[in-house]
Amino acid sequence: MAQTGFDRRRINGPEQSHPPTFGTQDEVEGRWIVGQPRKARKPMDIRPIFLQPGLIDQANGSAYVETERTKIACAVYGPRQTKSTAYHEKGKLNVEVKFTPFSCERRRAPMRDAEDRSLAVAIHQALLPAVQVELLPKSTIDIFLTIIEADGIEACVAAGTVAASTALADAGIEMIGLVMSCAAAVVEQETWLDPTEEEARSARGSLVLSCMPALGTVTSVWQSGKLRPEEVLGCMDACQERCSDIHSVVAQALLENA
Amino acid sequence: MDSDLVLPGQPISLPRGPIPQLGPGTYTRDAQVRASLVGIPRNEGSTLTISRVRPHPPGPNSVVLGSITRLSPLQAMLSITVVDGVPLPSGEEFTGVIRTQDVRATEKDKVKIADCFRGGDVVRGVVISLGDARSYFVTTARNDLGVIFATSEAGATMEPVSWQEMRCPKTGKIERRKCAKPENL
Repeated sequence: MAQTGFDRRRINGPEQSHPPTFGTQDEVEGRWIVGQPRKARKPMDIRPIFLQPGLIDQANGSAYVETERTKIACAVYGPRQTKSTAYHEKGKLNVEVKFTPFSCERRRAPMRDAEDRSLAVAIHQALLPAVQVELLPKSTIDIFLTIIEADGIEACVAAGTVAASTALADAGIEMIGLVMSCAAAVVEQETWLDPTEEEARSARGSLVLSCMPALGTVTSVWQSGKLRPEEVLGCMDACQERCSDIHSVVAQALLENA
Repeated sequence: MDSDLVLPGQPISLPRGPIPQLGPGTYTRDAQVRASLVGIPRNEGSTLTISRVRPHPPGPNSVVLGSITRLSPLQAMLSITVVDGVPLPSGEEFTGVIRTQDVRATEKDKVKIADCFRGGDVVRGVVISLGDARSYFVTTARNDLGVIFATSEAGATMEPVSWQEMRCPKTGKIERRKCAKPENL
């Protein structure tokens, strides 16, 4: 009986279905083994960046960034009136990060996920010194980041910061400089910039540096894992150098869009 | 040189001579003038600015347009939709308040809010201060400020007949408003 009846109260699957085919690319190439040099890239290379400001038209400013398998869309709304009752002399920066359910290898459950908030805090910290919040009393700037695909959390923070900073510039919000960000991981004794998820997993420690190359100032450093002080300084120098390269990419994208 | 686009944080090279006043879009850091917006720096009189037309929150002396949302004996609430000629995106209005003492410049103590505004009236005002936590204080105490558009009880658009009266063209009835002086008079 139940087999023959068409259940109109449920969502019925398609009549025909096929098993999903998974990409086996990674498996064929083989995994990285301790002691081997870095695959695919040189240690100090970062993934190529595609950046497009102004992709979301209903937002005041927006940006889409893609570095190989990391894809992030960012939208900036505001300045709008702060809804809370307290009076704020300075503007508020509200950063919200959301993972799409299909962004990682494992399904991300929306709402129940805790990682997006720690990412939001990291990006908020990186951006706040640059935004001239003192010019926006009683106002809030909302920054919404959607991580469409993630390949390494450190790279997500870095790419998210770059996207948010580009979107803020696109929205015409006054900033003392553009914030750039770069991630680094220490694997064995070597420093690898812009690590992928797989590389970050085999790393001993990692670091995300955010800075304003135009002013030569650092806005935030986010370190995890075990790193010696000289390694940290080495990573920071390497990241800062790479940030000025990213800055020229962002500058070009913004100038083309203007 | 002046037609070049600058990015936030980029130093702006100044011509020789007196240092211009800094307007919106620029700032100084360590005695170097830098841009804070994407745009072309321009000299407007003696001020150097990077102008960008975008919706911005009202500040003191901003001319705002808005519609009356709520009336009370002490104040009228205003939903600000246009700031300095730039419309705000829908759903992102700011709330303003016109207090009785800010309606007109003379006989402030005789002001009755109900005789000056009605719900739905479109009002031109000037922001006098950032106000309290929720709203901006707006004044209409000038000839060119006040109600610029209102509909009568019959539903027709009214025309101003004096600075505190408007007439309905349909019924000829006179309703009391604090009118703004029409620009072409």
